[in-house]
Amino acid sequence: MTAISVPRRRFALSLGERFRPAHRIVNWTLVGLLVLTTLVAVFASLLAPDNPIQPVGDLNLPPFSPGHLLGTDNLGRDLLSRTLIGLRASWFSALAVVVIGLLFGGLLGVVAGAFGGWIDGLLMRFTDLFLALPGALVAIAVNAALGPGLIHTLIGVSLVWWPYYARIIRAEVRGLASRPHVEAARLAGVGRLRLIFKHILPGVVPTAIVTASLDIGNVVVLLAGLSFLGLGQSAPAPELGADVQHSLYLLLEQWWIPIIPGLTVMVLSLIANLGGDALRNLLAGEK
Amino acid sequence: MIRFVLKRTGAAAVLLVVLSALVFVLQQISPGDPARAYVGGNASPAAVAAARQQLGLDQPWPQQYLRYLWNALHGDLGLSLRTHQPVTSDLGQFLPATAELVLFSFVLAIVLALLFALSGALRWPGTGIYRGVLLVGATAPAFLLGLGGIVVFYGDLHWLPEAGRGVDTSSPTGFVLVDSLLHGDLTGFVAGFQHLLLPGLALAVAPAISIGRILRAGLESAYGADYVRTARAKGIREFGVLWRHVVRNSLDAALSMSGLQLGFMFAGVVIVEDVFSWPGIGYYLAQSIPQSDFPAIAGVTLLLGGVYIVVNAVVDVIQAVADPRLTV
Repeated sequence: MTAISVPRRRFALSLGERFRPAHRIVNWTLVGLLVLTTLVAVFASLLAPDNPIQPVGDLNLPPFSPGHLLGTDNLGRDLLSRTLIGLRASWFSALAVVVIGLLFGGLLGVVAGAFGGWIDGLLMRFTDLFLALPGALVAIAVNAALGPGLIHTLIGVSLVWWPYYARIIRAEVRGLASRPHVEAARLAGVGRLRLIFKHILPGVVPTAIVTASLDIGNVVVLLAGLSFLGLGQSAPAPELGADVQHSLYLLLEQWWIPIIPGLTVMVLSLIANLGGDALRNLLAGEK
Repeated sequence: MIRFVLKRTGAAAVLLVVLSALVFVLQQISPGDPARAYVGGNASPAAVAAARQQLGLDQPWPQQYLRYLWNALHGDLGLSLRTHQPVTSDLGQFLPATAELVLFSFVLAIVLALLFALSGALRWPGTGIYRGVLLVGATAPAFLLGLGGIVVFYGDLHWLPEAGRGVDTSSPTGFVLVDSLLHGDLTGFVAGFQHLLLPGLALAVAPAISIGRILRAGLESAYGADYVRTARAKGIREFGVLWRHVVRNSLDAALSMSGLQLGFMFAGVVIVEDVFSWPGIGYYLAQSIPQSDFPAIAGVTLLLGGVYIVVNAVVDVIQAVADPRLTV
């Protein structure tokens, strides 16, 4: 060990190198936050102290009231419970959109990148077409045409969210396909499918994971926006964007009722962004 | 160059056709019967059937689509189910407010992005907080920024108004800031400016970060370039080096990002207008959604989507003019 560490110290002149261990701890903490958020979402109904759609206390209690950590809303429902259940809906919806985008866009990207030629040209023109349309607007229009509802929202957003993944994964596949280890495998007579699954896909996975985790925050914000416009689940269901919309008229008297769900969206998006960045740093550091 | 412009125009035209086809298909699957909406809820089945024939709804889909496209090109997007006005005249009425908000916000975004990039690249002391606040703000949904702004600057401090445009204007441009100046109305100008500030900021933060990051990367790489060292060695003052050699050479990527963000802003304006009851197209859309007024929703999608596509095409062409290597 000492034999390795001596030359390392001699070259460790840049700041980044010296703070490496501290950076690693910060990065792992941020990734841990990502996992923690998912756990909170999974166990939201166990963590919620009250039923989120039943009145359980006085109306419009401020945060830190006894028994109601975040207070209650205009109907006397516990805000912490509503926020937790709303957080679950937001987080899992965003994950669903990203996974669908990753699977569909990824499939297209791998096929286009691995086969090349006219297949590549055709699939990428198709992708560019979707990429050039205003995604948020099309998602609103699709959702509005299908009517309000969480599934309809997910359909609308997924429809515009995959092209980005198709582009990135195609570029990654093309890059890997010209690497020596893939060329060697091809020359050794490995079949096309085996080449894709054994030699190219494993190299694509880290990029795909980082791209997806950096994207969750964007999807959380977009979904909250659609919900705010009244396109998500219908009324009593706790949903962060819709809860803001429904309590807008309280903004100047009981500002926390509309602001808390909005802040939750921001915290989710912040965690997703920082966690994604940290994941990228960790994966880049281990190469 | 001419070939590039023609190609880019053709691509934009194809995209517009695709967008219109998409909106047409959505209109077909949306609940609600346009023929019934046209004649009213209490009309007899015979009247509905007559309206169906008159509107061409009994024809096959491709023919209906061509008819839809033809009408749209002639400014006929059907009747709004909510306002009972032609959608086109509704849109015409609300467009100036949206255009003014987006353009004002775009200027704000450019200023914020310049500050972000310069303060970062030049390591201005004390501006780390500004960059941190902007970075965190960019992860917030636009409605939260708007509401936070209202609570602080209207509710607590009473510095800025809560909602609306403040001044009624329709002539000659429909832009409050321009019209009030043309009429020599300074109070109107100030009121309009105050009303624009909060919604403008709420809309500007996210694009400012996207543009600012790219610009900062450009500035930092330009700073290390040989021609900058040469300029300094010639004895040019630091400001001259910064402005003539560093900033101008790092604008390229930031310009294309700005164009992209301007397009995004036309799509993202919907939520900000809803928060501030801004009498523009986005607010019109937000009002139409709960009523399932699909002709109106379709009209807004076509208009804002069309603006997005055209803005992107124009930016591409401007970039090609600025840097002819892009046309190769």
